[in-house]
Amino acid sequence: MLASAREKNKVSCHTCGRINPLEKASCLRCHTPLHSRKKNSVQRCLALSLASIIAYIPANIWPIMIVTNLGRTEESTILAGVATFWQMKAYPVAITIFIASVMIPALKLLALGWLCALSAGWIETNPRRANRIFWLTELVGRWSMVDVFVVAILVALVQLGNIMSIAPGTAAVSFGLMVILTMLAALSFEPRVIWDNARQSASS
Amino acid sequence: MACHFCDSLHDVELIEEGQTAYCNTCGSILYANKPQSLERAFAFGLTGVLFLLGMLFLPFITMEAQGNNLTTSAGETVIRLWLTGGPIISVAVAIFIFILPFFQLASLIYLCLPLLSGRAFPGMVPVTKLMQGLQSWVMVEVFFLGTLVSLLKLIKLADITLGLGFWSMVGLMLSLAAAVGGIDKLELWDRIEVAYRRRKTPDVSVEGGVEC
Ligand SMILES: [Zn+2]
Ligand SMILES: [Zn+2]
Repeated sequence: MLASAREKNKVSCHTCGRINPLEKASCLRCHTPLHSRKKNSVQRCLALSLASIIAYIPANIWPIMIVTNLGRTEESTILAGVATFWQMKAYPVAITIFIASVMIPALKLLALGWLCALSAGWIETNPRRANRIFWLTELVGRWSMVDVFVVAILVALVQLGNIMSIAPGTAAVSFGLMVILTMLAALSFEPRVIWDNARQSASS
Repeated sequence: MACHFCDSLHDVELIEEGQTAYCNTCGSILYANKPQSLERAFAFGLTGVLFLLGMLFLPFITMEAQGNNLTTSAGETVIRLWLTGGPIISVAVAIFIFILPFFQLASLIYLCLPLLSGRAFPGMVPVTKLMQGLQSWVMVEVFFLGTLVSLLKLIKLADITLGLGFWSMVGLMLSLAAAVGGIDKLELWDRIEVAYRRRKTPDVSVEGGVEC
């Protein structure tokens, strides 16, 4: 394992990558404030994850769309939407929505909790695995937004007067909020702390 | 240079164009030397703006059901969404699909145009920061997937024709990926530093050589 920049009294700029002396407050090249490690990353990440759990529950219980068909009103949740596609035998779509809307947010929140526990030193694992999980978490987070976009398009286009119309449900907003909160939680996480822990236990 | 994931300090080794250097400790990408990155980013940035305009104004989807005929562009779709009771969602869509991609493309063009001839424009440092910060929030490709899923629902209700606006969205998605994915971050910052040093403005202070 190579020595970290911090151990060599250096700090790398997160914006431009320049190596600065550790005591500098802002980058010599681009003047971005320098942080050798993001401050309170575990607390922030946990707080944002908790907030997104709170948004995740209504997002799955409340209706995401309200369909009015010939005067008959039908509320549909995310899971009901998946079931409809499944009954239509549109299996790839059903699986895509299930993965993007239900699995990814839940797995992402689990991953963030696990990563926070790792950086706090409560558990230990191969840091390379933690790295891969963090990279995946950052990569897939935005794809959960797909359901919000589906609702947006359907609401805008299906306005056929008395025959059929679609209105957005309360879950659509809480779902979007949940996705944004998990993305912010991933952004506030500091993977370098996990490697600091690994370096420490390797040297002792 | 230090790894962004694990903070391992590496000596800088020059690598050939098209090659990628990986971190010895954690295996993440440390640095990728991308050929003609600025030229490409500039060209794809310009095409991206054209596609963005096309997506906003050209017919996106035509629907025909029970005598009703509806043609909308993606821009009109957002307005319709606002009017039909989804103001928050409509603002979110506008931000993720039009506004942030526009800022990303505009900042790419603003950076690449002068740098290609070694000149500096004012405010390049904040513009570069903006461009880098926007990366996770531009969601055109997610919207594309959303469109495909909605089409499957709409096909049951009406006859659907896809218009030029839809294909502009595909073009925008591809140009964004090519422009942003082709940017060589280190080269970009080195060129900014050199361009500013040449202009001798105090905007970027350089102490000693280019030590990365
Ligand atoms: Zn910097
Ligand atoms: Zn590394």
